[in-house]
Amino acid sequence: MLAFMLEELLTDAGFEIAGVAMKLEAALAIVARGVCDAALLDANLAGVSSAPAAAALTALGVPFVVLSGYSPEQQKGAFSGALCLQKPCKPERIIQALRGVLPGFPVVPS
Amino acid sequence: MTVKPRARAAIVQENDGLRVRLEEAEEMLRAIRGGEVDALVVQGTSGPRIYMLQGQDAETNRIRGEMLANVSDAVIAVDGADCVTYLNAAAERLYGFAASEALGLVVTALRETRWHHPGDEAAARTALWEHGEWRGENIHVTRDGRELNVESGVTVLRALDGQTNGMLAVIRDVTERKLHEHNVVVSEIRYRRLFETAHDGVIVIDPYTRKIVDANPFMTRLLGFSRDELVGRELFEIGLPEDEAESQAIVRDLKQFNQIRYDNLPLRSREGRRQDVEVVANLYEASGQPVIQCNIRDISERKRAEEQVQLLLAEVNHRAKNLLAVVQAVAHQTAKYGDPVTFSARLSDRIDALAAGQDLLVRNLWQGVDVADLVEAQLAHFKELFGTRILIDGPRALLTTAAAQGIGMALHELTTNATKYGALSNGDGQVRIAWQTSATAKPMFSMSWLEDGGPKVAAPTRNGFGKIVIGRMAEAAVDGVVEVVFAETGLAWTLSAPAENALARSEAGVSTSFNHDAR
Repeated sequence: MLAFMLEELLTDAGFEIAGVAMKLEAALAIVARGVCDAALLDANLAGVSSAPAAAALTALGVPFVVLSGYSPEQQKGAFSGALCLQKPCKPERIIQALRGVLPGFPVVPS
Repeated sequence: MTVKPRARAAIVQENDGLRVRLEEAEEMLRAIRGGEVDALVVQGTSGPRIYMLQGQDAETNRIRGEMLANVSDAVIAVDGADCVTYLNAAAERLYGFAASEALGLVVTALRETRWHHPGDEAAARTALWEHGEWRGENIHVTRDGRELNVESGVTVLRALDGQTNGMLAVIRDVTERKLHEHNVVVSEIRYRRLFETAHDGVIVIDPYTRKIVDANPFMTRLLGFSRDELVGRELFEIGLPEDEAESQAIVRDLKQFNQIRYDNLPLRSREGRRQDVEVVANLYEASGQPVIQCNIRDISERKRAEEQVQLLLAEVNHRAKNLLAVVQAVAHQTAKYGDPVTFSARLSDRIDALAAGQDLLVRNLWQGVDVADLVEAQLAHFKELFGTRILIDGPRALLTTAAAQGIGMALHELTTNATKYGALSNGDGQVRIAWQTSATAKPMFSMSWLEDGGPKVAAPTRNGFGKIVIGRMAEAAVDGVVEVVFAETGLAWTLSAPAENALARSEAGVSTSFNHDAR
């Protein structure tokens, strides 16, 4: 449900959606296609940690923002160093964070 | 002076004979002084004469009699026919017989004898026959029925001519001592069993050497050290505590405070496994000897429970935040697509739908939601139409958390749509809700919502949030396919997905979709 809201939100904000994944395998497949400039990652995909996706993104040098219901202290390993947003999160904050990690996008103060 | 050789030999011989007789006389005197001789037979000119030495020892005999009367042990003498010839005061008390009454009676009239083991009696007889004495324990039953545990020493008395002349028995009542010994044994067994079957580790330490002197079987199971490996070691050698200095400090503190308690100590087992324990050490005296007893309780279960609670709290926090994010998304979408006038009412309805699903999840301990329960919860407002205008049909099937949320929201939107425009908006329309799981190699879960008899249907002109909910959102929740047909006779909604995506892995509900995100 969040994914759909986010898809619309980001499309409306001028982003192009490379793909939406509800599961880790799907997420890894999208990353492997190498068509995304940035990613918004839920720390937990259908009960599975999305750390492998984070690692794959890091390996490709693709910046990403983590969105999670867990507190930042609970995020370790592959997520460390990434910008971490906590659910629930204002839509504007998500857009701002993604623009912040994308090269060539000036940070717009909200 | 010169001596003839023959005369000299005779003198030597005579001398030797005299020396032998002198030695014999000296030995006789020693025997008489030592009380070993009762009478002397002297060969005189008128034949042998007997001299009794009794008179000489009359005083000694009187003292002996006095002593026998006053000793605490019972003394009984019997003659060759087993008749009592003497019993002292202690024997009178022991058997409840006056001497005047007992003298002359066969000794078995005083008490009956029982033996501890078969064969004891025969062994006693053999000892008396072969060695003239026997020492041992048996039971004397008095004429008033008391059973006495006694320790006896029996000596065969012999007459001057060496013939058996009766027996002398010294008998000690050891009933109380036996009882005490028995109690000690019972107590020892009882506490030994407690020690050995305890579900706490127990080790006993000598405070002087700080070495372990005993350890119970639970202790060996807890840490994997055998009893032999524990006994003789110091506490720090089994990692309780970490070093010798601390080990000494514990004993020092115990001497001062008598008790020390550690709520949570991580020990290491023999294989290096971490073992969380609670330790209570006590210093006390046992028969004047100070000992340290340590009770060591396995608190792994308690620790696990505590950790589980921490984990659950974190998980609850995570779920709550996820749900708030979903509410936020629903509010956003409701505002974006709907009429601002009805926003509040529509948002409330959608939050109600989420809450209904949440209730079901909690009721099933997050192990999944039964499809029938979910349908009934989402259509609760139309309960009175169940079985008539709303037909619900399908087997028991547990949906995963995500599937329940997605399908639950879709059912809510379908219901709202049917109430406004479809089969539930007039007086006789019908909704048939059905689901099933195919019995194919790769089972598919399918579900349908078919309306009939409502007002004539026209496809909506714009994509509202409701359409996203019953369509792409439901698809995403189960990784399946949704088909929506706006037929003139009524809306037809079908969803089909691999059963492994939609249904909880275990119907038994052991360990399933605990971590499934609420999206």
